[in-house]
Amino acid sequence: MKLLFSIIMGFLLLIPFNSNGQEKIVNYGNIPDELVGYDKYMKAYKYHFLTPIQFYGAGREKLAPNDLKEVRIGFLGPLEGSILVSLGNQMLNGSTLAIEEANKKGGYKGIPFKLMIHNDVGLWGAAANQIVSMDDEKVWAWLGSIDDIVSHVAIRATLKLEIPNVNTGDPDPTFTETNIPWVVRTIPDDRQSSYALVERIYRKDKHSRVAVIRTGSRYGRVGVLHFNRSATRIGFPIIIEERFKDGETDFKGRLDRIKGTSPDAILIWGNATETALILQQIRDLGMKLPVYTSDRAVSQEFLKLAGNLADGIVTTCQYNPDANDPKLKAFKASYTKRFGMEPDVFAAHAYDGMNILIEAINKAGLNRALIRDVLTDLKTFQGYKGVTGVVNFDATWNNVRPIYMAECINGKFRFSPAPPYNKADVIYKKVKRETEY
Amino acid sequence: MKKNSLKFVFITSVALVIIFAAILFLRKPAKAEKSERKENLNEIVLYHQDKFDPGPGSSSSVIKEAKAMPVYGHWQNFTTKDGLPSDKAYAVKIDDDRVWAGTHDGLALYENGKWRTYTSEDGLAHNGVVSIDVSETTGDVWVGTLGGLSRFSEGKFETFNQFNSGLPNDLVYNVCCYGKDVWVATGGGAGRYNTETKQWEIFTELNAPMHEPWTYALSGGEGKVWIAAWGGGVIEYNNQTKKFRDYTDPDGFMEIDLMPDDGPVHDITTATYYANGIIWVSSYFGLSRYDGKNWNGYFDHDSGLASNFINNLKAKGPIVYVCSDKGFSTFNGETWVTYKKNENDENGKAIITNGKEVKEVAQTPSISHNFIIGADADDDVVWVATSKGVSRGEVLR
Repeated sequence: MKLLFSIIMGFLLLIPFNSNGQEKIVNYGNIPDELVGYDKYMKAYKYHFLTPIQFYGAGREKLAPNDLKEVRIGFLGPLEGSILVSLGNQMLNGSTLAIEEANKKGGYKGIPFKLMIHNDVGLWGAAANQIVSMDDEKVWAWLGSIDDIVSHVAIRATLKLEIPNVNTGDPDPTFTETNIPWVVRTIPDDRQSSYALVERIYRKDKHSRVAVIRTGSRYGRVGVLHFNRSATRIGFPIIIEERFKDGETDFKGRLDRIKGTSPDAILIWGNATETALILQQIRDLGMKLPVYTSDRAVSQEFLKLAGNLADGIVTTCQYNPDANDPKLKAFKASYTKRFGMEPDVFAAHAYDGMNILIEAINKAGLNRALIRDVLTDLKTFQGYKGVTGVVNFDATWNNVRPIYMAECINGKFRFSPAPPYNKADVIYKKVKRETEY
Repeated sequence: MKKNSLKFVFITSVALVIIFAAILFLRKPAKAEKSERKENLNEIVLYHQDKFDPGPGSSSSVIKEAKAMPVYGHWQNFTTKDGLPSDKAYAVKIDDDRVWAGTHDGLALYENGKWRTYTSEDGLAHNGVVSIDVSETTGDVWVGTLGGLSRFSEGKFETFNQFNSGLPNDLVYNVCCYGKDVWVATGGGAGRYNTETKQWEIFTELNAPMHEPWTYALSGGEGKVWIAAWGGGVIEYNNQTKKFRDYTDPDGFMEIDLMPDDGPVHDITTATYYANGIIWVSSYFGLSRYDGKNWNGYFDHDSGLASNFINNLKAKGPIVYVCSDKGFSTFNGETWVTYKKNENDENGKAIITNGKEVKEVAQTPSISHNFIIGADADDDVVWVATSKGVSRGEVLR
């Protein structure tokens, strides 16, 4: 009896630890406790991004037009004049496949969907003009883009014009940190990649002197930001950071400088071509140290250029392209049959993103504000199962689902779930804070 | 044995209740470390006045409550039914006895109690008009549209775009006349057009302290121009020295504001305005005020600010007019007056906040909509551009 009573009372005693959500704070963006800014020493005055911003403007009362012959959806991507054209074409193909499949099923109440395709050009500010064109074309929503700069310029215009946007290709963490309630992103961001790489490089592989060479573009600058900060915060600031311009081919001078610092690992953050060339020149210099890269190495282009040197490269991937998932297999088969090539990460995410947009339009009807409401209600698409995995939006509508590690073995990337971030055993007293005001 | 068991149960229960109470007490969240200046609005005593219609010239305890702040009322609302080209209004500009309104479907002019519309058929660069300013030196009206910059002079439009001029980008979020210069804020950088030499100068990350050239608003005064840079805080340009300096949030993190009074509350800024020696800065995260020495940050949880999501702002004298997604706030550094429309009818309220005290004043009718995108004030009148129409308010005396 004593034993039974003790068990019951003990159970009752434990209830408060589990019933009050306040104690189980989920940090914004899956930031590990250890990496929350300033949190070791003081509480911030205001924590952003813990509750979703709503749209309080007018527009929900607008009636749908009844004379439409097509339901237009915008597409913005790098289709010509950009180093990202191959990625843009994959994104367009994924979107097109989703549109074609939806039209085979009857489109929107018998009206076919039509993709209004726009090249993002990549020049400063040009994307804003494309969004204005989409508004003139009366699109109901749009999908895109990949380049950080293009995407940022475009979403400021989409906020002004109040057009819902699904982004499936830009991993810039600041993209959804703009607090714009018209934008959702289905591809996990570089914040998640950075945490996974920090865990792998420093904790699992036990490196301590890591050199970084990155593109000077915003993709490199913002992408590597959280890696650098996190490495510093756990006690291993990167020992050197070198930059290059997209399109460069000779990195020897910068790699010589890196070699002079005696690193025990190198992280390359760039597009596939430059990453492969840098890898080649690292080996040419006789450096046999482990090389890690950003996720854009997960491509046929990289494998082709790097050849045998690709073996042993470790990076991240936003999903598992080899998952044993019938939905993914069917998509890959349809895509390969339709376009004569295998889908990449941008194609797969665009396919999912466009399907989400189509479903939102079908649910909400032809009204931009109502489409936005469905996209952002954190119910309709929370847990959505696409070919790339599930959607797990945070309060900024950033998909923070777990990502994958990718390791090249025998000329092929092998994927495994990224291990959860392990907190270091350090003297660490976290200041209590409220979840929100 | 049975007696011993009961005794054990009793003692254990008492001990567990004590431990339980102690745990609950210790688990109370740590109190927020706010600066002493901040007031906790949870402690505010609310005063309600159901009916209030003082009319011009009357004095009221409610108006006294607002101290030096004007309280606006007698709202007149204008929509397409009254002649506006669109209900979605982006900007308003008072031009002596006239008022210009920028809407999604054209530029509207309010004169002698009637609205007149100008569109691309009249030569306007694009029907979507998002910003307007009037040159004090020439009287020309400068119109920032979704597709270029237009100058309205002597009844005719002249268009500037990326193809025929040095305009950085065709989507002109903001236009500001300052002396002989016309400044524009675009997603491709800030631009300055010298109306005398007809030369353009563009400011981007290549020649100014910006990470990116994303600029969305600007304001001029005392020989300087301040530029709200998306992700770059506020950039100050000195016309005389031609040098820049930037004001950013020192904590360096997007997801927090470590201290509200250490600089702009966030680097993603939506507007800035200089008046009366004060730089006001808006963001989607709160409002900031800089008097040249100290920064102050204001949020909706610690002040009379309607919402942290601020679309735009404008200042006149000591007063800032804040256009938020949940109402129209005015503030002079001490007293807030915030205007909100009721959700289900045309009425609303003015909320006067002085430190801990809040007084609500019923208004019939209220502003046209709570989603405010632009505003302008002059003497005893304020005009507001909203998501559903344009509103005009008069100072209640």
